[in-house]
Amino acid sequence: MTSVARPDFDPELKAGLAVVGGVFPPTITPDLIAFMRRSYASPPIEDTLRGRAIERSEHTIAGHRGDPVGVSVLRPAGASGPRPGVLFVHSGGLMFGDRFSGADLVLDWVDQLGAVLVAVEYRLAPEFGDPFPREDCYAALEWTAAQAGRLGIRRDRLMVAGASSGGGLAAGMALAARDRGGPALCGQVLDYPMLDDRGVTPSTAQFDGVGVWDRISNETGWTALLGAARGGPDVSPYAAPARATDLSRLPPAFIDVGAAEIFRDESIAYADRIWACGGDAELHVWAGGFHAFDIFAPHTVLARGMIRTRDAWVEKILAD
Amino acid sequence: MQELLGRIAALDPQASLSLRVIACFDELIVGNVNTRGLLSAAASLAGCHAGFRQDHPPRTLRVTPRGELADPGEPAASSITCDGLTVWIERDGPARVNDTIILERLALAVRIRHGRGRRESDNRRELGLLLDPAVPVEDRRTAAARLGLTGPTRYRVVAAPLFAVWDDHPTGAEDVIPTPYGPIHALVVPHDHPPVAAAPSGTGLAAPVEHLHRSFRTAVVALRLCAPPATPSVLADDYGGLVGLLADTPIDADLPDVDSLDDVMAHGWGPATLDALVRAGSVRQAARLAGVHHSTLQTRLDGVTEAVGFDPFEDGIGRTRLGIAYLVWRLRNSRVLDLPAPTHPAPAVG
Repeated sequence: MTSVARPDFDPELKAGLAVVGGVFPPTITPDLIAFMRRSYASPPIEDTLRGRAIERSEHTIAGHRGDPVGVSVLRPAGASGPRPGVLFVHSGGLMFGDRFSGADLVLDWVDQLGAVLVAVEYRLAPEFGDPFPREDCYAALEWTAAQAGRLGIRRDRLMVAGASSGGGLAAGMALAARDRGGPALCGQVLDYPMLDDRGVTPSTAQFDGVGVWDRISNETGWTALLGAARGGPDVSPYAAPARATDLSRLPPAFIDVGAAEIFRDESIAYADRIWACGGDAELHVWAGGFHAFDIFAPHTVLARGMIRTRDAWVEKILAD
Repeated sequence: MQELLGRIAALDPQASLSLRVIACFDELIVGNVNTRGLLSAAASLAGCHAGFRQDHPPRTLRVTPRGELADPGEPAASSITCDGLTVWIERDGPARVNDTIILERLALAVRIRHGRGRRESDNRRELGLLLDPAVPVEDRRTAAARLGLTGPTRYRVVAAPLFAVWDDHPTGAEDVIPTPYGPIHALVVPHDHPPVAAAPSGTGLAAPVEHLHRSFRTAVVALRLCAPPATPSVLADDYGGLVGLLADTPIDADLPDVDSLDDVMAHGWGPATLDALVRAGSVRQAARLAGVHHSTLQTRLDGVTEAVGFDPFEDGIGRTRLGIAYLVWRLRNSRVLDLPAPTHPAPAVG
């Protein structure tokens, strides 16, 4: 038994862990990366899209250093005229997952709100450390903006969105777009984002060996990305956005996170610092929520609330 | 969650999915989750609609695999009715392998959520009250009477994890009881009941109903001493008065004798050697029990003596110290309540 005080998991979510734990163990060490790549691979996209009025096209773009990187473009069937665009960055701790991991939660934005979704197959650590993942994502953002006309995307209504590691990468893209004079963004959706490589918050120490994605898993992910630089003085804010000193002039941010997960404190701090810089952020902390509970247990009261609340914000920003 | 179950099966064909379904519902029961939440879990696990109907007052509820409410409808062919409560899952086509266990556990969970005879002031069920020494003894007697546990008869509590496999399931008062080690399935049997064939399980000391909480606590100790497959079940009686002492020892008590065993138990030979040393009256007998040569055991005993800082055979106190330290170490390191993960070989159950 542990003597660490921590908030309990919501009972419905706790029940879900009996199943989730078989796919996603709480503690991921480097020797489990191969297992996680199998267990967290997304189901066939054809199955995910079945019954939805969504058209898919596949493209190869020039990623970091000009290397080929795959992107999928998902658009509402029969859409006429330019639509809002979303660059979607998948979850998976920087080490696993693919561009469709967790995508079922954002497909409503396509067939309900009429947005065009661009999903990027950014390269994964540890084979591809920093800056490959974030620069592949940024290349996809520039490509989306440059090709907006051809893709039927409104250049004035482009948003980035991501969950977990994808949330961190999305936040990094918003920072980079601001600093580099890149594409204008109308919003950033950061779901329980992985923002801070330093692992020093109280919530990081609270959930060892329980739930989804504990302190050790987080160290494994950041070490895969940054190697020996993790936690040191030379980490780019585009890789670990919690490192950014200036959070002004960013697009409106939507941040949601569980109260019973390690990313609670860094998510709250990020929203707080955006406000302190005079920016626009909306923060939702879900009591009893473990990491990514909306992906793993979407049938629960808590997850339905999280998804509904997020979708309402996205509708406010994106819908015609 | 149906999709997650499918992934687990694909990753590890030996994995027992029924065990995970059982553990899921047990957490829902312990968490006192309402009917809609129970239906949502069942629908999510099954990947099809799930429904509920009660006769009085008439009420119907149907939910989708995403936990959304669906239009009311009639019970499907695959349904269970008990005490005026009907639950079902709406499978199109042939039943899937987990349908039976999902429906069975849903029915159990819904019955408990709609529990009869619930006290206004305390929403725990009768067995939970009976097994809690903090509840006034008169209330515990009342709870015992409601459960049909009466008279001067002594009883025992059998404790098992929610995923235990019961070859033979005696009838008796039973429920899921929250403990610091997670939810435990508790079953009450008469004191002279033959040993219960459930793995893993622990059977507590015999006690009158007023002290049945004691039987439960010793049953949990016995359970945590199990080490399947070699030791699938343990009787508290085998440890007599020691088991009560173990039940009263806080898990985080500062016990240097126990800490000193960490290194010894990490050796491949550690567990069997310590078990033999604790049970034997001499080095020669310990060697026989461990199935090794006398000189081999003597070498290991020297290692143990160095690690713990005393010679277990020096005098009787040394053996008692080692024995208690060994049992507490086993309790601290017990994995019997862990739901096997697919990354580890799963036991051949379910």
